Amino acid sequence: MKIPIHISEESREPIYHQVETQIKTLIVSGQLPPGTSLPSIRALAGDLGCSVITTRRAYQNLEANGFIKTAQGKGTFVNDVENRKIEDTKEKLAYDAFKKAVEHGIQVGCSEEEINTIFNNIMREYFKNGG
Amino acid sequence: MQASLLQVKELTKTYKRFTLGPLDLEVEPDIVVGLVGANGSGKSTLFRILMDIVKEDTGHIKFFGQEWTEDDIEWKLHVGYSGEILEAYEFLTITEMKNLISRWYQSWNHNEFENLVKRYKIDVDERYGKCSKGTKKKIEFIFTLCHNPTLLLLDEPTAGVDLVSQRKMKEDLMRFMEDGEKAIVLATHKIEEINQLCDEIVVLDSGRITHSFNKDDIYDTWARIWISDVVEQVIQHPNVIQFEMDPPQIVTNDVEALESIMQKEQMSITHIQRLSIEEVLEFLIDQE
Repeated sequence: MKIPIHISEESREPIYHQVETQIKTLIVSGQLPPGTSLPSIRALAGDLGCSVITTRRAYQNLEANGFIKTAQGKGTFVNDVENRKIEDTKEKLAYDAFKKAVEHGIQVGCSEEEINTIFNNIMREYFKNGG
Repeated sequence: MQASLLQVKELTKTYKRFTLGPLDLEVEPDIVVGLVGANGSGKSTLFRILMDIVKEDTGHIKFFGQEWTEDDIEWKLHVGYSGEILEAYEFLTITEMKNLISRWYQSWNHNEFENLVKRYKIDVDERYGKCSKGTKKKIEFIFTLCHNPTLLLLDEPTAGVDLVSQRKMKEDLMRFMEDGEKAIVLATHKIEEINQLCDEIVVLDSGRITHSFNKDDIYDTWARIWISDVVEQVIQHPNVIQFEMDPPQIVTNDVEALESIMQKEQMSITHIQRLSIEEVLEFLIDQE
């Protein structure tokens, strides 16, 4: 069983955090519905080329936050996550993604005004009708 | 914290033209240790000393938290070792070999043996000595697994083995590790095995351990940094492993230290990229 996770070579974000965020994204977006079984920490570590220490840490955080659950001897599964939590997480993930995009804009030398213009253009592209 | 499965302290062995150690090594449960190093760096010698095939000059070896006396070999029942030991029985067929070896172990798993022999398409009526190099490796591998060991010491288990069987061996090793209580020491020259199987890496060079680290530390500390200009202070820095001018870039084993220096010197970083394990190992093995 493989799940679409990718470790960025560019990002300075710790690997366990990247894994955690990407699994969370897959869960709140509904791509991994409740009950879906996840790869074991060792299989995932093998796929990603990291150590089990890293994947275990990601799974432990996800489990502590109620996104996944481990059944002894059966494996790890996606949990039934409450709606409110899904909404909160969606907001947080989108917020972080925007933040990263803005940081990137600043890094390549955009001004506040330029970033604002780009943001508005993109919003118009995606929400043509209304908004 | 669970007890170590293997603990080696101040181990030495001196030959006429080669000295192993002094060497310390610790293998904890649920960890796969990748033992890497150039040919002749001492990997096989280390395994042979651990397995008591060769006697060490000095030092202490503890298996499963205990130092065993010479006539107490119970520990061997829980260790799976592959390192050309079957050559001594090369005149036997695989079935004869199994009949001989399985008797040594109460825990021998006959089903597992049958499954693995099928899985790796081994002709059990063939004499071991007649088998190809890769087939011998596969047979050795099967024999290391069938007595239900807790610790595997594998000396290049996939050398000369076909691609499909290599993949199967990786799967079998992952399955072996699944309960979280076992461990593997894997001597290998294959980068995919380090990437996919290993948690910790130990670099052996001329009989000494020169580096020992968790694999993920590499990602956090090593990086290639592209900068506006490479200045003398940066080149001289002890954590700069390599530099190039076109375009200006450095390789470092302490990305945070370098970042703070560059900030202080007001040099602008244009890009930072993690290094692959392969690149880092080449630096570690080559530039000693």
